[in-house]
Amino acid sequence: MHPRVLLQNRKPGRIATMDEYRQSGGYQALEKAFVKNDPSPGDIREILLEARLLGRGGAGFPIGKKMATVPEDAPHPRYLVCNADEMEPGTFKDRVLIHADPHQLIEGIVLAARAIEAEIAVIFIRREYENAARILEREIQIARDAGFAGKNILGSGRDCELVVHRSAGRYICGEGTALINALEGKRANPRRPPPYPTTRGLWQLPTEVQNVETLCCVPHVLNNGAQWFQSLALTDSGAGTKVFSVSGKVNNPGCFELPMGVRLSELIEEHAGGMIPGSRFKACMPGGASTRLMPESMYHVRLDYGDMKEKGYRLGTGAVMVFDHKTCLVQVAVNLMTFFARESCGWCTPCREGLPYILDLLNRIEAGQGRAEYIEIIRKMCGHMKYSFCAFAPGAAAPVQGLIENFHEEVTAHIENQRCPFQDGQAGGDNAGSHH
Amino acid sequence: MPDLIIDNKKIQVAKGTRVIDAAQSAGIYIPRFCYFAELGAVGACRVCAVKFIDGPVEGIEMSCMVEAEDGMVVSTDDAEAVDFRRHVIEWMMMNHPHDCPVCDEGGHCLLQDLTVAGGHGIRRFSGKKRTYADQYLGPLISHEENRCIQCYRCSRFYQEYCGYKDLGVMGIAQRIYFGRYKDGVLENPFSGNLIDICPTGVYTDKPSRYTGRKWDFEQSSGVCTTCSLGCSIRVSARYRQVVRLEAGYSQAVNGAFICDRGRYGFSWVNSEKRPRQGRVDKKTMAPQKAAAAAAGRINDLEKQYGPGAIAVAGSGRSSLEALAAWHHLCQIRSWRGFFFDDLAAGPGAAAAVSGLSRENAVSMKAVESADMILAVGADPLREAPMLALAMRQAWRAGAGVFAIDPRDLEWPFAFRQVSAAADEIPGLVSGMATGNGFFENDSRHGRNMAAIRDQLAQSRSPVIVCGTAAGGQATVSAAAGLVQWLRKSKKDARLFGILPMANTFGGILLNGKPGTPEELIKGMESGQIKALVAAQSDLWKTCQDPDRLDRALRRLEFLCAADCVATELVSRADIVIPVFSVFEAGGIYINQEARAQWSQPAHAGGTPVRITGAGGHPPRVIGAAIPGGGLPPAWLAAWQIAGLAPPDSHEAMMDWMTKAYPVTAPVKTMGSEGVRIFPSQ
Repeated sequence: MHPRVLLQNRKPGRIATMDEYRQSGGYQALEKAFVKNDPSPGDIREILLEARLLGRGGAGFPIGKKMATVPEDAPHPRYLVCNADEMEPGTFKDRVLIHADPHQLIEGIVLAARAIEAEIAVIFIRREYENAARILEREIQIARDAGFAGKNILGSGRDCELVVHRSAGRYICGEGTALINALEGKRANPRRPPPYPTTRGLWQLPTEVQNVETLCCVPHVLNNGAQWFQSLALTDSGAGTKVFSVSGKVNNPGCFELPMGVRLSELIEEHAGGMIPGSRFKACMPGGASTRLMPESMYHVRLDYGDMKEKGYRLGTGAVMVFDHKTCLVQVAVNLMTFFARESCGWCTPCREGLPYILDLLNRIEAGQGRAEYIEIIRKMCGHMKYSFCAFAPGAAAPVQGLIENFHEEVTAHIENQRCPFQDGQAGGDNAGSHH
Repeated sequence: MPDLIIDNKKIQVAKGTRVIDAAQSAGIYIPRFCYFAELGAVGACRVCAVKFIDGPVEGIEMSCMVEAEDGMVVSTDDAEAVDFRRHVIEWMMMNHPHDCPVCDEGGHCLLQDLTVAGGHGIRRFSGKKRTYADQYLGPLISHEENRCIQCYRCSRFYQEYCGYKDLGVMGIAQRIYFGRYKDGVLENPFSGNLIDICPTGVYTDKPSRYTGRKWDFEQSSGVCTTCSLGCSIRVSARYRQVVRLEAGYSQAVNGAFICDRGRYGFSWVNSEKRPRQGRVDKKTMAPQKAAAAAAGRINDLEKQYGPGAIAVAGSGRSSLEALAAWHHLCQIRSWRGFFFDDLAAGPGAAAAVSGLSRENAVSMKAVESADMILAVGADPLREAPMLALAMRQAWRAGAGVFAIDPRDLEWPFAFRQVSAAADEIPGLVSGMATGNGFFENDSRHGRNMAAIRDQLAQSRSPVIVCGTAAGGQATVSAAAGLVQWLRKSKKDARLFGILPMANTFGGILLNGKPGTPEELIKGMESGQIKALVAAQSDLWKTCQDPDRLDRALRRLEFLCAADCVATELVSRADIVIPVFSVFEAGGIYINQEARAQWSQPAHAGGTPVRITGAGGHPPRVIGAAIPGGGLPPAWLAAWQIAGLAPPDSHEAMMDWMTKAYPVTAPVKTMGSEGVRIFPSQ
C-alpha cells in the first residue's frame, strides 16, 4: 500500500470535518506560520522550492519558483487565486479533493497566501461545482470562526480573506491569465506576459494563481519537510503524491492518490481494477484532453512530470483516459477536438479557425470521406498551433498529433477503406490498425 | 536607438518601436489585421508572424508584439513564417464570403489585398461557411458580419479608444460576434471610423453605397471644415458630387480618426438648393455677370452715400484666400469694414488667437500626452469632437481631467467638474494663479477648485482647454493668463482654444480686430450701412436675435450674397453670386492651433450628374461646358464684386496674398502637415 496524504481523510459519502482534519495534523503548519512566524513567508517559499512541489494544474511549474517572482517590494493588496475551474476533460481530482477534505485546501490557501503576503485569496470555482462551492463557503466560515482565516488570523494581526467566486463557465477561464480577466469582469481572453500575473495580475496587482491540488500539498510539505515530500515519489526527479483521475475502459474508474512516478500499468491494473472484460489496452490520454495520445508502448511509463517529458509526453493534470482496442481513436480525436473548437476563446486566428478546420477534416476521415492529403494538412496545422496566442491551441492539437504519429495506420485505414473500421460492431478487426 | 537587421537591411529605430513598424520604416510591409498603431498591438490575428533568427528573441513571433532591440536579426520571408502566415489567411477565408465582386469594400479591402498578395486563391476547406444575422446600426453604417475576420479592431476602438459600450464582442470560438445587443443606432459620435479601421467589409459606408467603386472615384486630401480642428480627410468624388469622406492621416492633428460630424457633414455640397447660378433681382445669369452687376450697384451706392455705407460680412467658413481678399478690398475701397460672424459665436475668439504663441500652442495629437487637462467654458464633445477623443487618450494614460463649466457635460471619460456660472469662470481661473488661500472661503467651489490647483501643482505638462463661446473674452484671457503663470512656474503648460469655425483663426490673423456682428447690425439699424455683401456669411445662423436682424436687413438698400451654401441671406439677396466650395476650389484653412493647411479640390466642379440628369439613364447632358461649372472661387468673386481686376490664377493669388499680408508668407512653403502661423510672427 502506498501512503495516502491528500486523501487520507476521504470518507465515503461525506466530507471530513474541521475537527477530523485537525486530528490528522491539520492547521498545525498554519498556527506555526502565523503565531510564531516559523516558517516565515520567505522560509515557506524556500521549503516549497526545495520540496520540488510542481503545479498540479497541468503545466507542472514549481510553486516555489512562481512565488519567488513576486517582488519583495510589490504593492498590496496581493492576491492568491486558487484555480478550481476544473474543466479539462477527464479531470475530476479537484472536486474530489474539495469534497473529501475542504479544510486541507483552506489551510493550503492561507499558507500559500502567507508565503507571498497576500491579504485576499479567491477560490475561482467551476460553476458546475455548486456543491463544492457551497461546501467551501460553509467551511470557510467555520475556519474563520476558529481563527484560521479572515481578519487577524490566530491573533497574529495578519489577514487572509477568502472569497469563493463562481467561474463564468468556460474552459478558457481556467487559463491563469484568462481567469484574471474573468475575475475582473472582462472577457476571459488570456493575457500575454510580460508582465506576469505575479507582478501585475488581478487589477494590476501581484497575483499568484495555483491549482487546488498544489495548494492541498502545501500544509503537508510544511508539516513534514521538503525531504519527506521528495521521498514520497518513486522517481528521483519527482516529489510528492499525485491524485490521478482514471476513466475509460477500466473496471474501477475513479480518483487514486499514488506516489509520483507510479507506473501507468500499476495504476490501471492494481488501482483502477484493470481493463474491463474483453478489452485490451490500446492507448490513453495521460494527463487530460490536452496531452498527446499515448500508445501501448508507453504502458509501463512512470507517471511523473520529468520522466514523461523526456519521452515526449505530458503528465498534465494526471487524468488518465483509457481506450481499449475496440475504441476508434479518430472518434476520440473528433470528440476532443469538438470540445476544444467549441471552447476556444476566439481571440486568435489559429485557435478560433484552425481547430474547426482540423475538426472538419477529422470528421470527414471518420465519416469515410477522408483523403490521403488530409493527414499532411492536419499535421501541418497542428504544428502551427504553437504560434497561437496562448497554450490552449497547442494543447488542443496534442491528442491529434499523438493520433497521427502513433496511430498512423488506424487513420490511413479510415481513408483507404473510406469507412471507420470500428463501425458496425467490427471493432478490433484487422483493419483497425490496432497495435495488437 | 536599437540597431537591428530585417531582411538583411540594417535599420535603426527609436526605442520602443515595434518590429512591424521598424520594418515598415525600411520599406518592408509586414501583413497585419489586428495591429493598428492607435489601438496598440494585441497579437490576435497572427498574420504578422516573422522569424527571429538571432538576438534577444528567437523563433517565430508576432512582429507587432515584439519591440525592436539591439542585435535582432529578423526574416520576414523565412519559409516557416511564410507558410504560417499563408495558413492564417486560409483560416480567415474559411468563413469569409466570396462576395468581393459585389461587396462594397471590394477594391478597398485589406483582407482582399493580403489574400491576393499571400497567394491564397484555391479554397481547400470544403466545410460550411458560418453565417450571422446582420444588424441595423443606423443610417450611416452598414453591418455585414459574415465578412468578419475577428481582428477585434472595432471593439477595441469602440470601447477602449472611445469609451462607448453599445457595440462590442459577444460569444466565443467560431461564434464570435461583433455588434450590439440588439439593432439600433450607434451611440458613439466617432462610429464612422469603424468603416475605416475594419480591414474588410463588415462596416461599410451606407450613404455612399452604390455610388461607385474606389477606382471610380476622384480622390483628394482635404481638411475638414466642420469645426476649428482642421482634421485631415480623404475625399472621394464622382459624377460631380462628393460621395464619401474618410479619415486622412495627420500625425499632428487627428491621427487616424475623424468624428462623424466631419465625416457626414458634407451633404450641403451636393444639395439641389445650393446656389449654382448667378441671380440679379430674380433673374438668373452667369456668375460673372451677376458679380459685375453687384459691382455696379455698389459703386452707385458708394457715390450716393460714401464708402462708409458699404459693409462686408464674412465667416470662418471661407478660405484664407477669400478672407484676405475681403479684408484687403474693404481697406483699399475705404468701405465700412469687414465684419466677422465668428465673433458672435465665439466672443473670445480674438483673445484665443492673440493668446497663442509658438511656445504655448499644442497640437491635438500632443494633447494625448498631457498629464493634466483643465477645460474652462468648453464642451469639446459638442464644439470640437475629436478633441474629446484626444482628451480621453490622455485620461487613459493617467491624466486627471477637470472642467469649469455651467453646463451639464457628458464626456466619454471620468472628469471632475466645477459647475460655475459663466461669469464666475474668469475669476476662478485667474484665482488659481494668485496663490494659496484663495478658494478656502468659497463654500461652493472651494473644495473642487483646490483639487484642480493641487493637481496643476503636481502636473508637469498640463493643457488648458478653453472655449470661446460660453465664457467669452474674459475666460479666454484668464485661461491664457493661467498658462502663462504655469509656464513661469517651470511647467510645460499649453493652451488649446476651441474656435467657432474652420478658419476663425485665419480671419483674426489677417486683422486682429475685425468688426463684430453687433457693430454690423447697429450700423444697419442706424442706417449708416446701406449695402451689405454677405460673403459666405452665417450671420443669420449665428445671430441670437433673428427678429432684430430681420428688421436691420430690411433697412438695407442692397444685399449681395456670394456663397456656396443656400443660406437665409442668399435667399434674401438682391444679387447672388454662386462660388465654388472648398471641395471644388480648394483653400487654405488655419486651425485653432495656428496650423495653416491646404485642402485640395476634390473635383473640377459643376452641378452633380444626379441633378442634371434628372433621373435619366444614361444621365447625360451633351455639351461643351460642364453644367454648373466655371463658378468663381470665393476669393475671385470678391475681386469681381469690388469691380477690380483679380489675380489671374490661384498662384498669382498666393503671390499677392503673401505680399499683402506678410504674416501669411509661410503658406507658400508648407508641407503636408501644414505650417503654424502665429500673429506675433
